[in-house]
Amino acid sequence: MSTIKNPDALFRKVQKATHYCGGELNSVIKNPDEVQIRYAFAFPDTYEVGMSHLGMKILYHVLNQREDTYCERVFAPWLDMEEEMKKQDVPLFTNETLTPVKEFDFLGITLQYEMCYSNILNMLSLAKIPLLAKDRTEDDPFVNGGGPCAYNPEPLADFFDFFTMGEGEEVIGELMDAFKEWKKEGGTREDYLRKIARIEGIYVPSLYDVEYNEDGTIKSMTPNCPEAPKKVRKRIISDLDAVSYPDKFIVPFSDIVHDRSNIEVFRGCIRGCRFCQAGMIYRPVREKSADTLLKDACSLIESTGYEEMGLSSLSTSDYTQLEALTDKLLEVTEKEKVSLSLPSLRVDNFSLDLMERVQKVRKSGLTFAPEAGSQRMRDVINKNVSEEDLIKSATLAFEGGWNGVKLYFMIGLPYEECSDIAGIADLAHKVVDCFYESEKTNKRRGVNVTLSVASFVPKPHTPFQWARQDSMDELYEKQLFLKNEIRSRKVKYNYHQNDISVLEGVFARGDRKLSAVLLRAHELGCKLDGWNECFDLEKWKKAFSDCGIDMAFYTRERDYDEVLPWDFVDIGVSRDFMKNENEKAKQAATTPNCREKCSGCGAASLCKTKKGCVCFEQ
Amino acid sequence: MNSNYYLRYERDERVKYVSHLDFVRVFGRAIRRAHIPVAYSEGFNPHPLLGFALPLSVGYTSECEIIEIALSEEIAPDELQERLNAVLPDGIKILSAHEGKSNMKKLDIAVYNVFPEKTPSGIAAFLSMKEILIDKKTKSGIKECDIRPDIKDIKVTLGKIEMTLSAGSRNNLKPEVVIAAMNKYMDGYESGECSYHRKQIYDIDMNVI
Repeated sequence: MSTIKNPDALFRKVQKATHYCGGELNSVIKNPDEVQIRYAFAFPDTYEVGMSHLGMKILYHVLNQREDTYCERVFAPWLDMEEEMKKQDVPLFTNETLTPVKEFDFLGITLQYEMCYSNILNMLSLAKIPLLAKDRTEDDPFVNGGGPCAYNPEPLADFFDFFTMGEGEEVIGELMDAFKEWKKEGGTREDYLRKIARIEGIYVPSLYDVEYNEDGTIKSMTPNCPEAPKKVRKRIISDLDAVSYPDKFIVPFSDIVHDRSNIEVFRGCIRGCRFCQAGMIYRPVREKSADTLLKDACSLIESTGYEEMGLSSLSTSDYTQLEALTDKLLEVTEKEKVSLSLPSLRVDNFSLDLMERVQKVRKSGLTFAPEAGSQRMRDVINKNVSEEDLIKSATLAFEGGWNGVKLYFMIGLPYEECSDIAGIADLAHKVVDCFYESEKTNKRRGVNVTLSVASFVPKPHTPFQWARQDSMDELYEKQLFLKNEIRSRKVKYNYHQNDISVLEGVFARGDRKLSAVLLRAHELGCKLDGWNECFDLEKWKKAFSDCGIDMAFYTRERDYDEVLPWDFVDIGVSRDFMKNENEKAKQAATTPNCREKCSGCGAASLCKTKKGCVCFEQ
Repeated sequence: MNSNYYLRYERDERVKYVSHLDFVRVFGRAIRRAHIPVAYSEGFNPHPLLGFALPLSVGYTSECEIIEIALSEEIAPDELQERLNAVLPDGIKILSAHEGKSNMKKLDIAVYNVFPEKTPSGIAAFLSMKEILIDKKTKSGIKECDIRPDIKDIKVTLGKIEMTLSAGSRNNLKPEVVIAAMNKYMDGYESGECSYHRKQIYDIDMNVI
């Protein structure tokens, strides 16, 4: 193995060299000659985005705890770095030891959102690794994908050697053990892939054949070897108190998106919103104990010196020991001058007391997510919050000294009517009114209500996975309609680019045929699509038309009896549950949350221990 | 009452791409990890009371950096040095710690070692120029200015150019600007890529700061 030659020649030429040169506090330094496995962990977006991601920190920690393995990081280079790498003929390399990624045993790529797919191809190409898995040889690493988008990996099937479904802490170790065995046995690449296909949670796309019907839908997907299971079941960590959590976070030199330490309060969400993929794929809810969290927090404060600590989960106010945790945490954080940040507050159990204790000094913005404007629509999506809840929480916040709130909504939801969209504006006006109607608010400063409106994207493994997605024109019309409904100057309206939403929807529910489109889009120069200055819809449109593929095929409504590209992935939640939820959505009927009443989704069967799991609470 | 200290430290190759602004944050976090009882500013966003002598340009290394720090409790300078060195990222090292204030406000001159790809010859002729005009970017556009008065001395040995230059808030000349001027005015000279190292800082009478 060798490191790249003359790195200074590159670093001198780019704006943010510390994004590539390593050496940050708590980055892991090992002697590469003393390990048996080298694992390059890639985040297919820029450093400031990737370094903010918790999953990468966890797996970096878990892999580097093994003496036989050295895990290093790699990110998508920014435009200036890519240009220099091409000019100087330097292949993609890791931050820790500046070693070309091609020389590693594994290249693990985390799949957080669909719009990073073009970056994956670009990074493979910069690494000089063949883009197509079938073209790789003994000289190339195994390319492994994981994360939320792996739950429908089919659009990426041609580019990956295998995918990992679900939480990675345990399965990644099994993959490393299997690698050492395989090395000892001296087999071929295919031998390794067949070997790991037997591990629960592993999907090797080349071991499956897909047949299509005449209309382009899937006829069948069948394993072509005995090692490959018909269904791939996701992995979970049953006992979050027992699994190792990083005691150190790498502290970047430069500012990043979320520059703070984080403790992970629980996984999963009790709520069951029908549009939400995270709420389904991370089932069942498993909590960490307050004691473990306090221990995690203390280690991170000590090892990083971070000024801020985040509590992360899908809905932090649903944590059963929240009060005990914040009591103990605040004792520590106040002493160490660390501020706590609490994202994901719900409008129905918002505690002003908690917010005031957490944000002692600065009263910055508060965010609530009613998601839909009318009660009918909130029942359709099973959001289970009422207008009364929102007005009550907003009033509390305003009376507590806040004078701005941000409200998250979606448009383009299934079964949506004009009145539902108008309801978004109505609700915003009512929030403005409640500020002026209360006698205890500070009127001198006025009030700001910011509407952040995203376009709904149907996602695999949700009750809305069969739904039709609105076209760009329809979404545009709805955005305009909403804009005209807003009459108060206190309401600010932000909306999401709808062309990106449609493309995201196509890849979210795509099949293997889309690999060709990704390849073509890469040839046309698509990359860094999450960045406005880089995204170019025209190039994407050309890639689709060059491949003779119609985006509308992927945004259409699907029948219950159609074989969906992701049907082979078993997330532990039954298809009957999904179907039933979709039917209830049509009737605007709600489903109670997991803590109120179990709806028998099936996820309980994933747990090996009852401790901390919502399915077994009394 | 706060107690004042100043620290001399070095920044080597491993942290040479860390900008000054980022370095301030790196230092602030090291102080927290070391549980140094630093004094904070008053106000809504209290920040630790730190003072830096002369910001180091991105890409430079140095063995003569100075930071002033105010503590709310007294600590033995040696202990301060030890505790910080235990938690600082690799590449940043406290060389010595002292009580009181430094003379950084009197800073006037800095010495740099520049390592070019090609050693220049004929530096005497360059130094004998009455004016050395270079284009300087300012807010209002490009302005021609004379850097000769800010060059105190240049010595050339094999593979190394030692420059003594004006430094500080009044007149500050960066060695890379001198290299650009050498490339421009010295016939046939091409420095190639250079590395820059700050060797020492002085007051106007050449007393080490």
